[in-house]
Amino acid sequence: MPIALIWHNLRRHWLRTGLTMASIVVAVFLVCFLRTMIVALNAGIEASANNRLWVQSAVSLFVDLPLSYQSRIAAVPGVEETCKFQWFQGTYIKPSNFFAQFGVDAEKVQTMWPEMKLVEGSYDAFVSDPLACLVGVVTARRFDWKIGDIVELEGTIFPRPDKSPWTMRVAAIYDADNPSFDKSMFLFHHDYLRKALESGEALGQQGVGVYVARIAPGTDATAVMAAIDELYENGPQRVQTTTEAEFNRQFVSMMGNIPTFLRSIGGGVAFAILLAALNTMLMAGRERTRDFGIMKAIGFRDSTAFGLLLGESLLVCGLAGALGLALFVGSAPVVAEAIARLFPGYRATPETIAVGAALALGVGLIAGILPAWQAGRLRPVEALRQEA
Amino acid sequence: MPQPIIRVRGLTKTYQRGGETLTVLDKLDLEMAEGGYYALMGPSGSGKTTLLNLIGGLDHSDGGELEVAGEVLSSLDGSALASWRAETIGFVFQGFNLLPVLTAVKNVELPLLLTPLSAKQRREQALRSLELVGLADRAHHLPKQLSGGQEQRVAIARAIATDPKIILADEPTGDLDRGSAGQVLDLLGRLNQEFKKTILMVTHDPVAAAHARSIVHLDKGRLGSIEHNRPLEAAGARS
Repeated sequence: MPIALIWHNLRRHWLRTGLTMASIVVAVFLVCFLRTMIVALNAGIEASANNRLWVQSAVSLFVDLPLSYQSRIAAVPGVEETCKFQWFQGTYIKPSNFFAQFGVDAEKVQTMWPEMKLVEGSYDAFVSDPLACLVGVVTARRFDWKIGDIVELEGTIFPRPDKSPWTMRVAAIYDADNPSFDKSMFLFHHDYLRKALESGEALGQQGVGVYVARIAPGTDATAVMAAIDELYENGPQRVQTTTEAEFNRQFVSMMGNIPTFLRSIGGGVAFAILLAALNTMLMAGRERTRDFGIMKAIGFRDSTAFGLLLGESLLVCGLAGALGLALFVGSAPVVAEAIARLFPGYRATPETIAVGAALALGVGLIAGILPAWQAGRLRPVEALRQEA
Repeated sequence: MPQPIIRVRGLTKTYQRGGETLTVLDKLDLEMAEGGYYALMGPSGSGKTTLLNLIGGLDHSDGGELEVAGEVLSSLDGSALASWRAETIGFVFQGFNLLPVLTAVKNVELPLLLTPLSAKQRREQALRSLELVGLADRAHHLPKQLSGGQEQRVAIARAIATDPKIILADEPTGDLDRGSAGQVLDLLGRLNQEFKKTILMVTHDPVAAAHARSIVHLDKGRLGSIEHNRPLEAAGARS
C-alpha cells in the first residue's frame, strides 16, 4: 500500500506532476543531447587511426605544400604510402549545400582508409575514371545521388575562368562500421584538379594542402614525424607532421571552447531542473503534512513518512528520466542523420544513457531528501494541527 | 471497579508561547477503568486534547507518569511508541482525517498494513469493519464522495480495524449535524458495550457527553470532578 499511496498521491495533482515530469523529460533529453554533441565533437579524434600521419605547412593549414614533397616524404623510412589530400570547397547548387570535398590520389584511397566500406559502386570504377568521385553515404543520401549521377561543383578556391562547373560522376558510395568515421566526404581525383590548374582551365594555387602518410606496423610514429619535419627544416617550406588524432583535434580547437560551453548549458539545465523538482517536492511535503500526522497517529514510523516522500520524488524523476532517455534514444538516429555532416559521431551510447539516468535519479534523490527529512521529523500532534 | 487501563500520576505538560511558559496540565492524577466509556469535558484550554494526545502517545509530557495498557509511555522511544499506538490505540478525530486519495476500504486497511495479515486478510478485515459501521456499500468511495457522518464512520472503522483496546475520540461529533452525530455516538456506545472497547472522548457537547458512562471534568489542567456510572440507555434517550 505505501507504494500504492505514492501512486495515488502523484495523481492527486496530476497537472503539477505532469508538468514536473515534462520538465525533467526535457532536461534529461537536453543533457544527453548536449553530452552527445560533446562526444561527437571529439568523435574525429576518437576515430583517428594510429598508422596515419598528417603533413601540413608549419606556417598554417591554409598554406599549400609543393607537389614535389610527396616523393621525399614517401622515402622516409617507416612510411609505406602517401596520399594527397587537398581541400576543394566547391559549391553544389547553393552555398548552404556545403559538404567537404577533397582531391586525393584515387588509387591509394582503398589502402589508406580501410575504414571505408563501399556500399555501391567499386574502387575500380573510381580509380579508372579521372572524373569519378567517391561519396560518403550521408552526402549521397542527402542529395539522393546514385551511381552514375553527374555532380557539378562551382569552384570557389579554384574557379574556372569561363565560370563553367567542375563536373564529376559518382562512381562509388562508402559507409563505415565506425559511427565516428566521417561518412559525408566527397573524394575526387587530385589529378583532375592539377591538370586543370596546369592547363589554365582553372585558377588557383598549385600544390597540396596536406599529405597523408601511412606508416608500417610497429614503426615509431614519433621518429617518423621528426624525420619528415627534418626534411624541410631549412625550407623551402617547413612542414609540421602530426598524428591523425592531433590533426583532427586542431579542428575542434578552431571552434573555440565549445565543449565547455555545452557543458555549462548542460549544467545549468540540470541545476534548474533540480530547483524545479525540489520546489515540487517541498510543496508536496507541505500539502501532505496532515496525512503524515494521520499515518503517524495510526502507528506508522517516521521512516515511513521519510520513505513515502523520497519514494515519490524518485518515482517522479525516475519515470520522467526513463521517458527522457526513451526520447533521446528514439530520436538519436534521426538527429544523427540530420547533423551527420557536422557531427558524424552522434549516437546514443551506454555511457550517455547512464549519465541521463544518474541525473534523473540524482535530482530525485536531492529534491526528495529535504522534504522527506522534514516529513520524518514531523511530530504527529503538530502535523495534525495543520489545515487539511 | 475493573482494573485501570489508564493511570495518570502527577502529569504535567507545559508549552512555551511568546516567551511565557503555559502550563496546560498541572500535576494531574487520574485513573480510567478498562472497558469504560469516558467523556472528557472542560472549557477551552483546560487540557482535554493535550491529555488525549498524551494518552495516545502522540506527545510527550514534561513530568509525572503515564501508564496506558500496561506501558509506561515515557519509557518508549519513537519507534516503540509508534508500534504501541498501532497495537493499542484507535484514533477518531474531529476532522475525520481520512487520506483523501484513498477509498474508504483502503483508508480502513491503512493501520492493517502494520500487522502481519496478508493482503486478502487485510481487505476482508477492512470490509468487516466497514460493515460494522454500516458502510460496506461505500467501500470503494473516496472521502469526498461521502457525507461528513459517513466519513466519521469510516474513521471509526479505521480506528477499530486492528482491534485496539482503547479508542480515543477528539470531538468526534464536532463537525457533524445532529442526526449524523447521533449515529456516531450510537456506534461508539456499541463499541463500548458489545466489543468492550475503552473509550475516551473529548467533547464540548453535553449531549455527546451524556452517551458516556463517566464524565471527567478538567479545569485549568487539573481534575475538576468525575461523574460515574451513568446509565447509557438513559443518556442515549436524551440525544
